[in-house]
Amino acid sequence: MHISEGVLSGSILITGWAGTCAGLAVGLKKTDMNKITRTALLSSGFFLASLVNIKVGPSSTHLSFLAPMGLILGWGVFPAMFVALLLQALLFHFGGLLVLGANNFIMGVSSLSVYLLFGKLIRNSDSKILVMALAFISGALSIILAAFLAGVFLTLSDSNFLTAAKLVVIAHLPLALIEGLVTAFMIGWLKKSAPEFLL
Amino acid sequence: MMMIVCSLIYALSVSVSANLFALVAASLLPLYLLVKRPEILKPLIKLNALNLVMIITLALTWPNLCEGFIAGIIIALRFNMIYIIFSSLVFSEGEAKIYDSLVSLHVPEKLRILFLLTFRGINVMHERLDAALVSLRLRAPELGLVMRFKTFAYVTASVLLQSSSRSDRMTRAIICRGGFDGFSQTESGSLNLHDVVVLAGFVSYSLAIIILNHA
Repeated sequence: MHISEGVLSGSILITGWAGTCAGLAVGLKKTDMNKITRTALLSSGFFLASLVNIKVGPSSTHLSFLAPMGLILGWGVFPAMFVALLLQALLFHFGGLLVLGANNFIMGVSSLSVYLLFGKLIRNSDSKILVMALAFISGALSIILAAFLAGVFLTLSDSNFLTAAKLVVIAHLPLALIEGLVTAFMIGWLKKSAPEFLL
Repeated sequence: MMMIVCSLIYALSVSVSANLFALVAASLLPLYLLVKRPEILKPLIKLNALNLVMIITLALTWPNLCEGFIAGIIIALRFNMIYIIFSSLVFSEGEAKIYDSLVSLHVPEKLRILFLLTFRGINVMHERLDAALVSLRLRAPELGLVMRFKTFAYVTASVLLQSSSRSDRMTRAIICRGGFDGFSQTESGSLNLHDVVVLAGFVSYSLAIIILNHA
């Protein structure tokens, strides 16, 4: 999901940083100081998600938790992801420092979109099946949206990346299903055990 | 100033073409910093030992020996540049003083606290999640695919909840001790000349690469 350093054009890098700064400003304003430890916790969880591999047949994949982050943190997802992505860039060279703005924008917007679309519905619903169905859609949609945005950024940087952009979206479809499943179970469990956890 | 000039010339060599002048100018930067910061000499020697292997391999496998050698030299110089700049920025103050550096860079308070708490939370969560996953693997090694995801989701959510209650207790403790105003005990400091030079060089280098690549 991370776009590597040196791939995007200057104008797209600047656009990404502008979007990220706007998201960070709103996110920091809306994040209550008393809830900052929870935000940090989710940020750590997002960081760790990339380190936990799950075996799928002969291969393995890792999750991103975009939808759970959005559904739990709301607008706070922007600063939480910014810190996690910054640490990933510094410690593991996932993505990079110049492209951090674009990566944060892509993941933040995907995560925030599912919160704005499904957050209220999931919070107010009493039906377990409906909650899990909505959470599944949130999980899958967040990945597809992030892959689509990454594809758009790549194509806008250079039209030669169009094929690569299509491949990015197609390659993320299986992950979208897995992420949808995990999100459904996770949000279903949280809704039952700790409904106050969902924003 | 020397660093800024070297960075710009180096950026030119990356974007336009690698000529001898640019290589010489770029190699001045490591020499300059080695005089200023001799403690990075040892890791730099190790890095260049690996670079030497890379240069020889490139020279031998490149269609033209001389071109391969020059390509290797360019890559080695870039490795040196990246290492020096990043070691200066990230490790110059040490982990304990990162908060102080963030204050100097005018990073918003919430973001600073979030950064430190996240940094701290990674180890705590990693240990818990790892222990939970290991015990899961030992108890039920032959789970089906869907059941595996279901169990993983439940384990992760329960770790999140446990850690959350712990973090809520931590927040209450911080507030009882006087709130986030007294969060850090590190002394507030200011950027010294070396920090300013390195920072300016890094910014110029980054901007030059963006502008020259996409002009």
